[in-house]
Amino acid sequence: MAEVVVPIGPHHPALKEPVNFRVIADGEKIVRLELDLSYNHRGIEKAAEQRNFIRVLPLLERVCGICSHSHATVFAKGIEEIMGLEIPPRARYIRTIIAELERMHSHLLWLGVAAHEIGFNTLFMWTWRDREAVQDTLEEMSGNRVHYGMNEIGGVRRDLTPTQIEAALSRLPNLEERIKKYVEMVNSEETLLIRFRGVGRMSKEEALKYGAVGPTARASGVDYDVRRDDPYLAYAEVPWNVITDDHGDVYGRTRVRIGELWESTQIVRNCLENIPAGPIRIDAPKNAPKGEILSRYEAPRGELAHYIRTNGTDRVERVDIRSPTLANWTSVAMCLVNQNLADIPVIVAAIDPCLSCTCRMVVVNQKGSTKGTDATNVGIASDPGGWRNRGRP
Amino acid sequence: MSVLREMIGNLLSRPVTILYPWTKVPIPETFRGRIANTDEICIGCSKCAQVCPATVIAMIDGPRDVEFRGKKIARKKRPQVDLYKCIRCGLCERHCPTGSIHLEHIHAGTGTDRDVKVS
Amino acid sequence: MTDPVLTVLYIFVFPGFFFLFAYALFLSYLDRKIAARMQHRVGPPVYQPLADLIKMLGKEVINPHGVDVRVFDAIPVVALAAVMTAYLYVPVIGASPLAFQGDLVVVLYLMALPTIGLFLLGWLSRNIFSAIGGIRAVTQLFIYEVPFFLALLTPAIMAGSWSISEIVLWQQQNLWLVFLQPIGFIVALIGLQAKLERTPFDIPEAETEIVAGPWTELTGRRLALMHLTSEISLVVGSSLIAALFLGGPLLPWTLSPPWMNAAVGFCLFLAKTLAVLFVLSSITVATGRFRIDQLNDIGWKYIASAALVQVGIVLVIDYLWVTL
Repeated sequence: MAEVVVPIGPHHPALKEPVNFRVIADGEKIVRLELDLSYNHRGIEKAAEQRNFIRVLPLLERVCGICSHSHATVFAKGIEEIMGLEIPPRARYIRTIIAELERMHSHLLWLGVAAHEIGFNTLFMWTWRDREAVQDTLEEMSGNRVHYGMNEIGGVRRDLTPTQIEAALSRLPNLEERIKKYVEMVNSEETLLIRFRGVGRMSKEEALKYGAVGPTARASGVDYDVRRDDPYLAYAEVPWNVITDDHGDVYGRTRVRIGELWESTQIVRNCLENIPAGPIRIDAPKNAPKGEILSRYEAPRGELAHYIRTNGTDRVERVDIRSPTLANWTSVAMCLVNQNLADIPVIVAAIDPCLSCTCRMVVVNQKGSTKGTDATNVGIASDPGGWRNRGRP
Repeated sequence: MSVLREMIGNLLSRPVTILYPWTKVPIPETFRGRIANTDEICIGCSKCAQVCPATVIAMIDGPRDVEFRGKKIARKKRPQVDLYKCIRCGLCERHCPTGSIHLEHIHAGTGTDRDVKVS
Repeated sequence: MTDPVLTVLYIFVFPGFFFLFAYALFLSYLDRKIAARMQHRVGPPVYQPLADLIKMLGKEVINPHGVDVRVFDAIPVVALAAVMTAYLYVPVIGASPLAFQGDLVVVLYLMALPTIGLFLLGWLSRNIFSAIGGIRAVTQLFIYEVPFFLALLTPAIMAGSWSISEIVLWQQQNLWLVFLQPIGFIVALIGLQAKLERTPFDIPEAETEIVAGPWTELTGRRLALMHLTSEISLVVGSSLIAALFLGGPLLPWTLSPPWMNAAVGFCLFLAKTLAVLFVLSSITVATGRFRIDQLNDIGWKYIASAALVQVGIVLVIDYLWVTL
């Protein structure tokens, strides 16, 4: 067959959210890829400028359903640092527990979705069954299965009662056993291995060059985790490990995520058992002093950064959200060239894409950047994370 | 092989999914569900309307004499919430001084009327 | 059974088309229920496939711009007719009254027709997803058809006959062929899974990659008939394997009243096809989908060579038997 354009998206069963890949394929091999994001733009950054600090947190939570606590926490953390507030230790521990529970539920969801993309619906059903335990815990603690609403400027809204802590601890052993089974399954199940190994390989240099973050980069050997390199909340006080892998392909990313699942269960157990007593919030002032801050956080998908500028009123002047998926898209476009048409859903799912997080205002400065080989029609910057090329109003 | 063992094990045990609505799952007490207001203790301070991020609370006329912290207040207004636009974030419950507006632990429910107001 | 009324009843009522539809819907239900229970879910109720069929028959038929409407209407009907005809030669309660020398080949040919129909649908749909799906369907047909045919030929060689009913009779006097040709049995099962386009071989209909492949532009009653075709293919395929390898509906001895023979034969038929279905469902649940180039690799390297080995063994056994 001659070169044809296969439109993957905006509506496609492989995608959970709309994105437009125009794949130019020669038979079953991909020649070129043209990427169009921005179908999920909702004007959140503008809406956030019009709400005061109490009302803006639920809005920012709803940037994304799966990493909702990440957005709320990174914003709250940034504002608290501008205001110079030190939240009580119990609040830090509660935020950490919810953050790690969110990471667990996100990685279990990802495992199911990746299995579904290769037609292995059994693993999809099993991982989502185990995810229900995490969701039940979150529902008991915060009142809702997504959009937990635990954060406030100055601390946490709700406290954890001893019954909730006990119920959460009682669910952990079963989860740990299931995670061990998934490790075994990923390493020995033939259809998984044959579809994941060697697919979408990215070397360490390429990962750094194209600005990949999170488990996508850690699977290529990039040893960077915001929780360890820029510690926040309670991560400096509980023992845990950063998981990296050398494979660099989808199999490596699977191993990194399952490893992180295990580490999260240990962090949650540790925090639940050693949670300090005390108040859960302090009173925050109504206005924030003038200032700028770049607040970073390790969301389940990678490094999430909020750039916040305040000007002395009770609202932000500008909040710019650089979500991890936005940083990972160029690596997808690069990985997909010369792969099989059948591997598109696998490679796209391997970065754990969250289009709702991605679609913000992006201004790309193409001056001084090196354009990759027809891989995308977005100029690829030469600094990781792409910060130098972001337009600032 | 472990997949096969688990498959046969699942086949011989009870399924984890339930046939809703003939069977229901118990809802925890802390669940943020349907919004409701207790008229007898509401003092009409409009705090809930000010903090609501979705601005779905309107203050309507609701004159009543209530008692708050030992003092008698002639309340003028009370809140009216658009039930289906409420995002159930719970900020109103958190900032209400009397605890009258709250989220119950039942589901908000469904209906055919687009414009249901709770007050 | 030379009585024409009995023959007509055989063809249309029992064990003919009426029973075929009922059994196809029942096997479809069982397949989904077993898969669901293995995945720890509840699964659909027993009337679900019938409800799906009735619902799809009532939906609107959408013709994409510029496609040949008559071909689109004809292909599902031809495919359904082909598999229904193939069913008539499969022994259900004893030897089939319509059996003749060579009906094995006819059944295999008729069962391949729906795949060709899918390819035509994909090609004529004026839709890139359907075209890719159609090409994948015929590529898969080339890959699995050779080992599948070889594996189903070896019972014919051993029994010395080209008629399915006579192969079943041969097994009644000797041993079930699954014990004499285990490799052939496994290759036949894999080939059947590929013919029915079920995971791990559901490459033409890969939902997450090419929407629905050649099935994309089928709507309404066309989709209902095509779906019914694949359900009936499941019945025909599993009863073919049950007849050729597991001895079909005959016991090693004949019982005295002929109706008792037929009733017991029918129960055996049900049991054996249900066993084959259980194996097929387990394979579907336990695996993920292959890529078409990986299937090419595996198909020619392992499955085709296993089939050839089996044919070689059978020829050697036959030669030794004849000379000794």
